[in-house]
Amino acid sequence: MSGHSHTAPPSDPELRIKALESLLVEKKLINPDAIDAIIETYETKIGPRNGARVVARAWVDPEYKARLLADGTKAIAELGFTGVQGEDMVVVENTDEVHNVVVCTLCSCYPWPTLGLPPVWYKAAPYRARVVSDPRGVLLEFGTRLSDDVEVRVWDSNAELRYLVLPQRPEGTEGWSEDRLAALVSRDSMIGTAVVPAQGAAS
Amino acid sequence: MNGVHDLGGMHGFGPINPEPNEPVFHHDWERRVFGIMIATFGGGHYNVDQFRHAIERMGPVEYLTGSYYEHWLASLETLLTEHGAITQAELDARRAQLSREAK
Amino acid sequence: MPAVAKDFVPVLVATGGSTRVHKAVAPRFRAGDHVLVRTMTPEHHTRLPRYARGRRGIVEQDHGVFVFPDTSAHGQGEKPQHVYSVRFTARELWGPQASERDTLRLDLWDDYLDLVV
Repeated sequence: MSGHSHTAPPSDPELRIKALESLLVEKKLINPDAIDAIIETYETKIGPRNGARVVARAWVDPEYKARLLADGTKAIAELGFTGVQGEDMVVVENTDEVHNVVVCTLCSCYPWPTLGLPPVWYKAAPYRARVVSDPRGVLLEFGTRLSDDVEVRVWDSNAELRYLVLPQRPEGTEGWSEDRLAALVSRDSMIGTAVVPAQGAAS
Repeated sequence: MNGVHDLGGMHGFGPINPEPNEPVFHHDWERRVFGIMIATFGGGHYNVDQFRHAIERMGPVEYLTGSYYEHWLASLETLLTEHGAITQAELDARRAQLSREAK
Repeated sequence: MPAVAKDFVPVLVATGGSTRVHKAVAPRFRAGDHVLVRTMTPEHHTRLPRYARGRRGIVEQDHGVFVFPDTSAHGQGEKPQHVYSVRFTARELWGPQASERDTLRLDLWDDYLDLVV
């Protein structure tokens, strides 16, 4: 434990980060252009579209799906998604019997290479506090009602494994291309707070 | 530590309220906090466990009223001063200077 | 410490920093073992949530060897050890108002667990 005092923050975050950044630049501990490149990467290249491609591939290619469930990190890397906060990936499959949902109660651990940076609700207290003890109630807040015969399986990602939910392929998508399927896959369906809805006449 | 960050199973925080079409960042200062965290983490200034623990050492009121990137900012300030990259006096002086310039 | 250069950013982002440790460490448990999560009140950093302490679960999978956060956060070394996916019933954690069918998984280090015999 350190003796760090719990005084109120001295000023607004905008000023505080400006002060910190300018000192770090002067001391040559950071390069501003590297900071810009990091931000640009996470605003434009990394996001839930990546995870949707993984899901769509698993829906159309049973051998890929088998590899994905056996070794998530390796199979996701086949599509080029690797790195920070996705170093050790586990993919969990929704079925007629099991619905998976992911949380990090202690902080906000989230699989960045496949889902991007987490949304505010995933990082905030209401979801982190409640989804472990009342997952069905939380899912209802997302408009997801699960039958009593389905097991809700909550994954609290408290260690360094990062979890991606493989949602069920919806009805009405027989013969669809991988690209068209990927467009259906929402971020929330890969966290497990939503399902991918049935399409067309089947809905 | 039995800190307020350990939220699992608690009641009373209200509804979840997901934001539709949420942007990656809501403010420019969040972008800088994020980028500086990745760069200083990548530069070996602290490990992930130290980073999380420095968030847990925030005061409970500050933690619960602060956003995710405010937690990160607090952790960066704590670790970069504790580990000697900068001093608290330098940080205080720079904040005061920027505050004067902004007026 | 040298600053991360712009050209290095794609490598940094795509590589990250796994806390997996490639060392042979004997596991204390294996899949199927019934375990009791240790009751503890550590003042130091830990990744063992309060709600699981003192609860019983079943080891489902061994994820391999990882850095131990409880020491790593305090400059006390990596203390590498196995991390397991441990299954708990919702009722074990939350009591009779929880669904009989629902379960929860936590990833727990060797030092958080004892064998139930």
